[in-house]
Amino acid sequence: MIGISSVVLILMGAGTGLVGALLGLGGGVFLVPLLTLALGVPIRTAIAASLISVIATASASSTINLERGLVNMRLGMALEVATTLGGLTGGLIAVALTQRQLFLVFGATLALMGVVMASRSGRRNVIADENVEPGRLGGRLREGDQAYVYRMRRLPLGLVASLVAGAISGLLGLGGGIIKVPVLNAFCGIPIRVAAATSAFMIGVTGAASAFIYFGRGDVALPLTAAVAIGALPGSLLGARLSHRVEARSLKLIMAVVLLVVGGRMALEAL
Amino acid sequence: MSARELERAIEVALTGGVALSGLLLVAGLALGAPGPLWWGVLLLILTPVVRVVVVTIGLILDHDWLFSAVSLFVLAVLLSSVYVAGRI
Repeated sequence: MIGISSVVLILMGAGTGLVGALLGLGGGVFLVPLLTLALGVPIRTAIAASLISVIATASASSTINLERGLVNMRLGMALEVATTLGGLTGGLIAVALTQRQLFLVFGATLALMGVVMASRSGRRNVIADENVEPGRLGGRLREGDQAYVYRMRRLPLGLVASLVAGAISGLLGLGGGIIKVPVLNAFCGIPIRVAAATSAFMIGVTGAASAFIYFGRGDVALPLTAAVAIGALPGSLLGARLSHRVEARSLKLIMAVVLLVVGGRMALEAL
Repeated sequence: MSARELERAIEVALTGGVALSGLLLVAGLALGAPGPLWWGVLLLILTPVVRVVVVTIGLILDHDWLFSAVSLFVLAVLLSSVYVAGRI
């Protein structure tokens, strides 16, 4: 029989999965603070549970994004080279930094990303001329009756951002979308919906790179992790469906606010 | 293999992995049994790895050697993670 505490954890997983898929961030941004601050779960256990939950969320929402043609698979694979290396490294150095240092660095990073996102939310990264060649890492995007072309710019920057995102995934149990999506959108020319969908496509693989380490070390609390992951599945599917209805500019502004709030909260933990 | 066929194969791999692991996790929680929970979590972690394998096979069949190599590299990093996890 599933107990009350499991029901609470399932609901928590559902809520964070929904918001994570809606914003293309992965639910870990909300799940780790919730588990540690609200329920007093040890941070390492929370990170491991978050990683597993993020893998479930990203895998489930990617099936919907693939159907919609929003995932740029070749771009995702190219960036996965960096995210998996980062994820593996992040998982290994997780014990080297104190939690205070981690909270401070990531809090500042998230807040900075929020500012960048908000200041560039009016930009469109697409070319109206359908005949323009998108290149190997670019693509075409259809919105209603209109087709657009986009090109990948500044690939080295995208790879560096992906490496950092992977490392953060391994260190803090986040999906890493919180770094990749703003950088891909604001600096690399990728439309926000494609950036979010391609990021989610990568997040499962990135999470797996470090999840093996947590799993192998015995840091995964099975009942807690299972409850959170079970909740994350329907939550993420609903979030992916709802994200289709959210206007691109609104999505950027919502993400900017989320980045600022979560960043500020994380930085406060370091004090 | 067309791009749509490859995407369909990935969807099947992701949906199958998530559905099966979800069933194991629900069963484990309902029965209070650690065995299904352990397998459910492991299967969930392995699902993206299977997705990379599917993509790699699709790209090799498509003779896209550059991205096949990229995909194989990602697979190698994931396998090295399993190796490292077994050593620490």
